[in-house]
Amino acid sequence: MTSEAVKPSLRGFLVDSLGHLVRGRLMYWAWLVLLLGLIALGGWHYTLQLREGLVVTNMTNQVSWGFYISNFTFLVGVAAAAVMLVVPAYIFHRKDLKDVVLMGDTMAIAAVTMAILFVVVDLGRPDRFWHLIPFIGRFNFPQSMLAWDVIVLNGYLLLNFGISFYIVFNHYRGREPSESRYFPWVLLAIFWAISIHTVTAFLYSANSARPYWHNALLAPRFIASAFASGPALMAIGLQVIRGISDYPIRQSVINHLALVAAIALQVTLFFLLADLFTDFYNEGEHAASARYLFFGLDGHSGLTPWIWTAVVLLTTAMLILMIHPLRKHPVYMNIAFVLTIVGVWIEKGMGLVIPAFVPTPIGEIYEYSPSLTEIMVSVGIWAFGLLLFTMLAKAALPVQCRFLREKNRRAGTERNPDSDPAVEPD
Amino acid sequence: MTTYAMVIDTRTCIGCGDCVVACKNENKVPAGLNRDWVVEATRGEYPDLQTEFRSERCNHCGHATCVSSCPTGASHYWKDTNIVLVAEEKCTGCKACIAACPYDARLIMHPQGYVDKCTFCHHRVDQGLDPACVSSCPTHCMHFGMLDDRDSNVSRLLRERRHKVLLGETGNDPHVYYLL
Repeated sequence: MTSEAVKPSLRGFLVDSLGHLVRGRLMYWAWLVLLLGLIALGGWHYTLQLREGLVVTNMTNQVSWGFYISNFTFLVGVAAAAVMLVVPAYIFHRKDLKDVVLMGDTMAIAAVTMAILFVVVDLGRPDRFWHLIPFIGRFNFPQSMLAWDVIVLNGYLLLNFGISFYIVFNHYRGREPSESRYFPWVLLAIFWAISIHTVTAFLYSANSARPYWHNALLAPRFIASAFASGPALMAIGLQVIRGISDYPIRQSVINHLALVAAIALQVTLFFLLADLFTDFYNEGEHAASARYLFFGLDGHSGLTPWIWTAVVLLTTAMLILMIHPLRKHPVYMNIAFVLTIVGVWIEKGMGLVIPAFVPTPIGEIYEYSPSLTEIMVSVGIWAFGLLLFTMLAKAALPVQCRFLREKNRRAGTERNPDSDPAVEPD
Repeated sequence: MTTYAMVIDTRTCIGCGDCVVACKNENKVPAGLNRDWVVEATRGEYPDLQTEFRSERCNHCGHATCVSSCPTGASHYWKDTNIVLVAEEKCTGCKACIAACPYDARLIMHPQGYVDKCTFCHHRVDQGLDPACVSSCPTHCMHFGMLDDRDSNVSRLLRERRHKVLLGETGNDPHVYYLL
């Protein structure tokens, strides 16, 4: 309970955490009802897909991956970007980041869960998902890149969950977690984060018949854009948490994330330029998909306005974040974050997945746009991810707040400005 | 390892589509889906142009990227041959094989949700018969046999006639040949 008496048992921790979940203001309950409503709507549309098969999506035998796999790709990047809090917090010992690194892990957990759900709804036979479970199913490892992806995504989920749980449980018991116990896992999680996005990129670039993907720059481009969109999403999430709770999130954390996003956006756009130059300076048949995406092919140009929107959004965001007064301005900074998230969602979503199928290697053109079922199921999964993030944060935040308060009270006599829990207004 | 190949003479193919119908009948392929199809292309330079008909299907590749990309081993080689099959009960419908296939030769079955494809009629090959499409061809432009046997009809045709494969540059080692 909220009293200062700490029950040091695991059971007490779980009971208390559940207790935090059922207490909240009206806004909290309204938020939960909204998310549950969207999940129910998505679930209902998914039952339709289960009954009729993938024919209710707009995916075809030509464009066989669509909106689901686009969202999956974007979310793997968001999950990987948690490392942008973890590295400075644990390797460079930035105190302000260490206080919020748990929220980064929480976001990674929610993002990976959503990514896995997006793969599940994309399956034609989700009831046979167990074939993809190592040791239980017939797992084509190490040959298949998708088999690798299953391992790295689930491993990343377990790693983040384990580390977060260990830290929060120790804070609940009112003591510092033992660094020698969790640090090796944090180190592993850092490399693992890079691996989840690299393996996902290899899933695409392994296909030699699709020149749009068969490109050594694909994995670096994935990482670069993920380090822009992930920190932007995290910065917005942290500001929301700061607005509705007394969790001490310092402005220096948000500024750090803005700087990371600025640099990552510069690299992202440079990589994009390098790809465009290679494709179009001496344009050959290998550039057909890129031509379809950026300029349209044989009168088909469904994705052209879409991708140019992304290019404009990302360039604008980069310019805002490159100008120091604007990057530190609370309004412009958040505008840049939103532009970055939407821009990368387009560029690393539909902009990456669909053109590889248009034209097909044997030259057919089938233009794809998601069906209502695909959109509603995707909304449901996003709502589920937000619900998961809300619940995890709601359960962990009171524990964290109390622990930091206690710690600061003990350290208060030293008058260390770094450990000042008060939140300065922006 | 036995390597089966199909050799199709573009000079005698008239594009009638009998191979497509024969396949649908033999393999009970549902309406709206096809395991093989006929492409009509133009060959040569103006004014010396020719119409090229090509009966296309899975190329039963020696290095089949669909087999290596399959996460469950549902896509596999039949016995010790290059014939690529899908074990329906193991297929999760993840479509990694469709992304990996250079020939658009794979299809999702609705509403069953698993991936289906040309089998080179391995059930007929097992009995020493030709695939249904080859048997039904009215102009005898399609040939089927073992490449390992130097005296087989397919080996002889490939020795004697100019030929091509589709998208050989992907490194998949396809086994449907077109005589020019």
